[in-house]
Amino acid sequence: MFSLTIWGDRGSMPTPGPDTVLFGGNTSCLEIRANGRLVIVDAGSGIRQLGDKLMREDIKKGPIDADIFVTHTHWDHIMGFPMFTPIYVPGTKLRIHGPITYEEDTLDKIFGAQLSYRYWPVRQEELGAKIEYEQIKETTMDLGGGLTVQTKYLNHPILCLGYRFEFEGKSIVTAYDTEPFRNVFPTDPADPQYDADAAREGEEAAREENEKLLRFYRGADILVHDTQYTAKEYVASKVGWGHSSFEYAVNAAHRTGVKRLLLFHHDPNRSDAELQELEIFYQERVRGKTALELEMAREGRTYIA
Amino acid sequence: MPGSENIRRVREYVVGMPSLPTTVTKVLEVCNNPKTSPIDLDNVIRLDPVLMGRVLKLINSAYYGLGTQVTSLARAIIMLGINTVKNLALSTAVVDRFSDKGAFRAINMDGFWRHSLCVGVTAKLIARRRGVDPKAVEEYFAAGLLHDVGKIPLNNALPDEYVRTMALADRERLPLFLAEKRALDLDHCEAGRVVAESWKLGGAIADAIAFHHTHESYRGDHGDVVRTVAVANYFANREGIGFSGNLFPDKPGPEVYGLLDMEKSWLEELEAPVAAEIEKAKVFLKLTH
Ligand SMILES: [Fe+2]
Ligand SMILES: [Fe+2]
Ligand SMILES: [Zn+2]
Ligand SMILES: [Zn+2]
Repeated sequence: MFSLTIWGDRGSMPTPGPDTVLFGGNTSCLEIRANGRLVIVDAGSGIRQLGDKLMREDIKKGPIDADIFVTHTHWDHIMGFPMFTPIYVPGTKLRIHGPITYEEDTLDKIFGAQLSYRYWPVRQEELGAKIEYEQIKETTMDLGGGLTVQTKYLNHPILCLGYRFEFEGKSIVTAYDTEPFRNVFPTDPADPQYDADAAREGEEAAREENEKLLRFYRGADILVHDTQYTAKEYVASKVGWGHSSFEYAVNAAHRTGVKRLLLFHHDPNRSDAELQELEIFYQERVRGKTALELEMAREGRTYIA
Repeated sequence: MPGSENIRRVREYVVGMPSLPTTVTKVLEVCNNPKTSPIDLDNVIRLDPVLMGRVLKLINSAYYGLGTQVTSLARAIIMLGINTVKNLALSTAVVDRFSDKGAFRAINMDGFWRHSLCVGVTAKLIARRRGVDPKAVEEYFAAGLLHDVGKIPLNNALPDEYVRTMALADRERLPLFLAEKRALDLDHCEAGRVVAESWKLGGAIADAIAFHHTHESYRGDHGDVVRTVAVANYFANREGIGFSGNLFPDKPGPEVYGLLDMEKSWLEELEAPVAAEIEKAKVFLKLTH
């Protein structure tokens, strides 16, 4: 069995309260199961409840052993780590993989900074778990037991990876936080900053990177995609913030033959009512035009690939 | 063996090699400005061989699957994002930690900067004139800009030895790289190889760094770039644009122009456009001299 459970789907900051009961208020955390293997994507605030579940159920079968793939080190994607109970339990084995943006910083320092007396009563050195850190780039990894993962750089203000997990012919792909690549150089010769070489190279680079992204999504059984904004919001004021629109995600998923699209990284200002309305709106818009199934990611829901 | 001790000191220096003093103010200004345009970022990086090399390192080590080496800065900025590139530039644009010792330097870094830029621009213009694919022209520029990068560690990590090397070249009327080999048991092409390795640069750029004085015996895949850089280097020395310590430069033989399928007379026509490009850079950097 190859499954995905959502423990956090909110973007930017946890949003507890009566308006976020249905879709959830925890920041990014996904649990992926490939038969016995446990893979976690991101350690947002949602990882706390995942940790509690592991302590209730999995620990009976033996120590927790998991790979954690971090999409990037923005705070909403790592903030839950100090409250992930298994890190305090001797015998726990964690392998944390993720990209780093600047070569001087190491992944364990970025994570470890959260576990320092300044921010937290326990230091990284005092944890019970055995934790290995691995800085990764664009690559393909064999995780054993038939599970593989391929990574792809996304377009976000810092380096950020998308993950494509494959198991027994099925695939689960994550693509957040990201927005479509675009040419950042002026293409209008009348622009005082116009430079023909940069304009040409910029066009080409953006086009090629976007094509690579589409190849990365191709045929996914489940695609978890950044949809923080509507196209209108995006164009009005969010270009360059590193997040996608519903319109882009739906189009990209449809064009690449994705089977199920989970709309993800909900804007912190979006209430349950608004998300529900948007969900119905986009579902209606594609009805009859595509085989693609789409829905808003909901905290606590499990999907089988 | 003085060579191995010298190489050790070069290696040590290369780890934290700062950008050139000529560009540092502008780099700080551009990269500390939250509203900096991508084109300004592109412009400031392409003026500094150290920054250029480091950004290329970052992009090439970030993208394994690419197969080919990325040599375009515009592409690096789009793929890595403007913040990442800015931050990298900021961390490189530090004042030289060795320079406060007040030691005398063999090569003035301002002159070196001008020489490097001149070779980059000239190599690019020759490539254009030869009808090289526009996508590949940027590689010629980068190779030219970086060709003498090995002189930076020699000049700054071995300051006294390098002054003596220059004196030897002067006395014996030797091309600088031969004097380096004799005095230091390490020439700037070998030192440049250390830099290229540290920055994970391969392909044409690394070969131009390593072979621009020994292009006649070069048998690799990037002969056009290596020879173009050798010609551009000769042009910069002949015209006296900038100065990188070479008073008795080696002169490419006529067969080099033949292999490049170019006329030596093209060089005369390059004087004006090269001067214009360097002037543009000076205005951008607000240099007064
Ligand atoms: Fe040289
Ligand atoms: Fe030179
Ligand atoms: Zn986020
Ligand atoms: Zn983010």
